[in-house]
Amino acid sequence: MLIQILNGLVYGGLLYVLAVGLVLIFGLRRVVNFAHGSLFMIGAYVGYTVTAVAGFWAGLIASVCVLTAIGAALDRFVFRPLQDEDPIVTMLVTFGLLLVLEDAARTIWGKEFLTVQPPAILSGVVHLAGTSFPVYRLAVIGAAILVAGGLSLWLRFSRVGLYVRASSVDPLTTGMQGVDTDRLSAMVVAIGAGLAGLSGTISAPLVALSPSMGGSILIDSFVVVVTGGLGSFTGAFIAAMVIGQLHNLGVVFVPAAASMIPLVLMVLVLIWRPGGLVKAGA
Amino acid sequence: MKLNRRHLLAGATLITAARPGLSRAAKEPIRIGVPTALTGPYGDLGNQVKRATDFAAEAANAAGGIDGRQVEVRYLDTEGRADLAREQGEKLALSGYNLLMSTIASGEGLAIGPQLLRWNAIYISTINKADDITGKACNRRMFRVNHPDSSDVAVVQPWLKQQKQRTWAIQAGDTAWGHNSGMSFSRAAQEDGRSVEAEQYSPFGTNDYAPYIQKIVDSGAEGLWVALAGRDAITFAQQARQFGLLDKVFTAGVSFIADNQVKTLGDAAKGIVGIINYSSTLDTPGNQAFVAAWQKKYPGTTPTNFEAEAYVGTEVLFQAVKKAGSVQPADVGRAMEGTTFATIFGGALLRKEDHQLMTPNYFGYVGIVDGVAKPIINMTVAADVAFPPPNGSCKLAG
Repeated sequence: MLIQILNGLVYGGLLYVLAVGLVLIFGLRRVVNFAHGSLFMIGAYVGYTVTAVAGFWAGLIASVCVLTAIGAALDRFVFRPLQDEDPIVTMLVTFGLLLVLEDAARTIWGKEFLTVQPPAILSGVVHLAGTSFPVYRLAVIGAAILVAGGLSLWLRFSRVGLYVRASSVDPLTTGMQGVDTDRLSAMVVAIGAGLAGLSGTISAPLVALSPSMGGSILIDSFVVVVTGGLGSFTGAFIAAMVIGQLHNLGVVFVPAAASMIPLVLMVLVLIWRPGGLVKAGA
Repeated sequence: MKLNRRHLLAGATLITAARPGLSRAAKEPIRIGVPTALTGPYGDLGNQVKRATDFAAEAANAAGGIDGRQVEVRYLDTEGRADLAREQGEKLALSGYNLLMSTIASGEGLAIGPQLLRWNAIYISTINKADDITGKACNRRMFRVNHPDSSDVAVVQPWLKQQKQRTWAIQAGDTAWGHNSGMSFSRAAQEDGRSVEAEQYSPFGTNDYAPYIQKIVDSGAEGLWVALAGRDAITFAQQARQFGLLDKVFTAGVSFIADNQVKTLGDAAKGIVGIINYSSTLDTPGNQAFVAAWQKKYPGTTPTNFEAEAYVGTEVLFQAVKKAGSVQPADVGRAMEGTTFATIFGGALLRKEDHQLMTPNYFGYVGIVDGVAKPIINMTVAADVAFPPPNGSCKLAG
């Protein structure tokens, strides 16, 4: 059972790193970013390309840098010009971007599935509770904790973090206080996209890379964001961890209904607390 | 002389009479509709189907067509989803591309089957493995040229008798074929006195197989049977290798060691055994010619199992059109029933009773050839053994 709990933490951790980017972007731009799944996918492919030439760690750094730049461009050329439009317009544009990026990946990297090996230092298994557990999976848990801790410290104790929290609750008043919310949003969208790149490269040694790989995990990430509370960082963390556990324990105890459980949880939470588990900005 | 309408009409009539080729309309082309998974977890398989169908159509057209008919192919993406396959199949059929072929998931073929009469179409399965396609869901307009699950089981049974593993686990996809294959293996194992300690079906497109892998470990099974394909097969194999499962538990499967999957997995696939429905190393004259032509068009590659199966579909279709002298789906369908076709496997009968093409089936392992991981055949099962007689569940309706 310990191993299944650890597996739940791994999946929850991956979901969190991806979902928190969505939360950041929604918090500042009020955009439900359907392109986030394709940013995750591009992150994995960039990681794959650089890993093949310069190793996994270079791939990880390159993926975060490239996706951060894409995020900044996304904000400057898509989200900012559309900020006064009906939210449905921006949502449809992000859906279009998802399709464009998938086709771009198909053109650049081809249609065949690709794989990435974990770095040598994280290969192999450790023996826990009498069974083997991949070292790489422990590293994924560690990465998720680092991201959660780092983001939490940044949001709680830095001036920019204060602005981000304030802007995600009330952007108008925050702007009236002299905060350049456009610049702030550009930075936050860039960080959100960078996190998608990070989660893409972290996932690469676990799954087969394909241009449509972002689709299924994006649905799970939306479930995390909605269950946790739209725009809530703490809520996203709690929801990701709970959904990671339910996903695993569901397979163990009620395999026939396992894929339905996170969706049932989301519905129940929304009935109980329509705003999600935790209030926005928390 | 002043030209008037009468002169023009007379001139046109003369020209037409002098050049009979102009007066006769060109033969109706063979219009093939391929509703297949070009994206999604089965996207790689669908693109293999496309490559092989394009290859066959281009070769036929370059040789002057089939019986004087040009071949036109149109593809629509189904993402491997049954609902979309039905929708795209209808679009293709109603726009004249009513010789349908090559969906990937069995559920797609099963969704298309009941609509064929209404669409005035036929459907040739080249990848779908569920027994129902040529079993209880069969109909007069549906045909299969690839190996169904029952044929794979016929290969597994003699192989299983030689294995020392007494306890088995099954990991299959939560699809029509996955359940079919899992249950068939379970039955074959139990009939041979083995026990199945874990039998699990993962959703199509699963990203995290860790809980399934852990359940297999916990079951203590000595052998593992895997019925996964495409992205699911690669993701499972990659994660199972990281858990050390493939080193500890003897692993075999169906569609699990397909060419492209093995190529992607590389060393991670080494040592896995399984059913191989086709290998480019087959030494029939038809296959040697096919592989040579393929390598000329796609240098540095050999056809994969899915490419070969899709190609066999076109071989059967072209010969049936020639025999029927028509591209009307009902005529082509009639020409297929009970006919022996020249294929890359050699001469193969398309059974009248259930519309199944009978070809040999194979078992093998992943080995290294010229430094590259490849499926290698080490057991051949003749067509009459690989295809048990129809069990009567197919009542050809429609």
